[in-house]
Amino acid sequence: MDVERIKFERTGGFAGMRIATDLKFADLSDEQASRISELLDDLDFGELPEELLEESMPDQFTYVITVETDDWEHTVTTGDASAPEKMQELLHLLDRLARTKRKH
Amino acid sequence: MHKYSHINCFVPPHILKNIATKGTESQRSLAIDTIKVSARMSGQRQALAEFAAATFRVAVGGKDRIVYDARNGSSLPGTAVRREGEAAVSDVAVNEAYDGSGITYDLFNDMYQRNSIDGNGMRLDSTVHYRQGYDNAFWDGEQMVYGDGDEDLPASERLFNRFTAALDVIAHELTHGVTQFEAKLMYSQQPGALNESMSDVFGSLVKQYKLQQTAAEADWIIGQGLLTENVNGVGIRSMKAPGTAYDDPVLGKDPQPAHMKDYVNTISDNGGVHINSGIPNYAFYVTAVELGGYAWEKAGRIWYITLKDKLTTNSNFQDCANLTYSVAGELFGAGSIEQQAVQKGWLEAGLTVEGGGTTTPSDNGGCLEALLRLLGVAPVKRS
Repeated sequence: MDVERIKFERTGGFAGMRIATDLKFADLSDEQASRISELLDDLDFGELPEELLEESMPDQFTYVITVETDDWEHTVTTGDASAPEKMQELLHLLDRLARTKRKH
Repeated sequence: MHKYSHINCFVPPHILKNIATKGTESQRSLAIDTIKVSARMSGQRQALAEFAAATFRVAVGGKDRIVYDARNGSSLPGTAVRREGEAAVSDVAVNEAYDGSGITYDLFNDMYQRNSIDGNGMRLDSTVHYRQGYDNAFWDGEQMVYGDGDEDLPASERLFNRFTAALDVIAHELTHGVTQFEAKLMYSQQPGALNESMSDVFGSLVKQYKLQQTAAEADWIIGQGLLTENVNGVGIRSMKAPGTAYDDPVLGKDPQPAHMKDYVNTISDNGGVHINSGIPNYAFYVTAVELGGYAWEKAGRIWYITLKDKLTTNSNFQDCANLTYSVAGELFGAGSIEQQAVQKGWLEAGLTVEGGGTTTPSDNGGCLEALLRLLGVAPVKRS
């Protein structure tokens, strides 16, 4: 699949602060784009349930990830404790990009 | 103004001691308070200490902590690195989690006779160094989890320090556990904001307890020390002045309201649980300052009993206002300054206590009758 765009939103947490980023894949470095593509493939992201979220746990982050490819779009909502282990690296990469973008 | 206080009670000491050891939580609280005040009035501090030692339930198992290290992974709980009674280690986050959960245990145990999160000696498990760049802390239903902040970003871009740095954050997370075992407040909308507020209330009280600060001396800031020097802010929330904790070009402005007229309707953050908690937070702050002294002694006790015995899954702000008012009446007497302080606290947050009109001393039998009511043997009230 050819990923064109990823939207990432993080809400909740102890501080209750929202961060978000809208990434055009073409704007990412080759290294970032390559790793994110691998992780999405490995997760079979397009086939994941839309809700990967168990009961809301106090102060956990809620993540909403939307992936757009050349032929499909899929959104998954998940949380810290309910995200599968193999999704953790993707969450960290996207979260870091969102935190970096909010700099001055 | 008529004040009902414990020294107005003329209940024989042996009866009070029986209630203090065998009564329900509300009964025990009232009896213990009465004994304490009486002992203080008569200068019997030694008697008070001996009584406390003999009366307070010794925890089965007592305080029991384990701190784990996730080593920047996401598997919980991770590797155990410090167990109860072991010496401090070189990792400051580990020691902060250990000491913070310990002082939190102490407040609940010493002041409210609660043995740990579940009231039955549950072990306090904490995990530090969760994931990388994790600017958060949470309660996962079984344990506390702490990230290291923005440690994965260049120093000039970091906004958050490690989350164990603030004692009230640790107490906040542990209190989520207490709420889970007691009121079980749903984590959404107003019940969720109450859940958050209870954690901030006891988070702040633990910090005040450690520092031995009165309500007037406390800063009432939640999360002091979490924000780096790159941020214009003193913490994450202010119970004293909700909406003023930070105002920063990157983080934006603290969005918390202090009054119901500014209640924020949103679907984000489970219905704004970390935003609208400013309203009950402010009600507690006003109550505590109105009463003066150490906030954990009276205001904290009223809120604790309400959390433990009164609030339920779907309770909203109005319910909490009514119930804290009711509990203040049970503990300190109808029309007491404590009950009036609770009423004022909620009123300043925009909530009028329902059924909380002017209760005159003649409407009730005062402390003794309150005690008898708690025991379920109150005389039938004459109309």
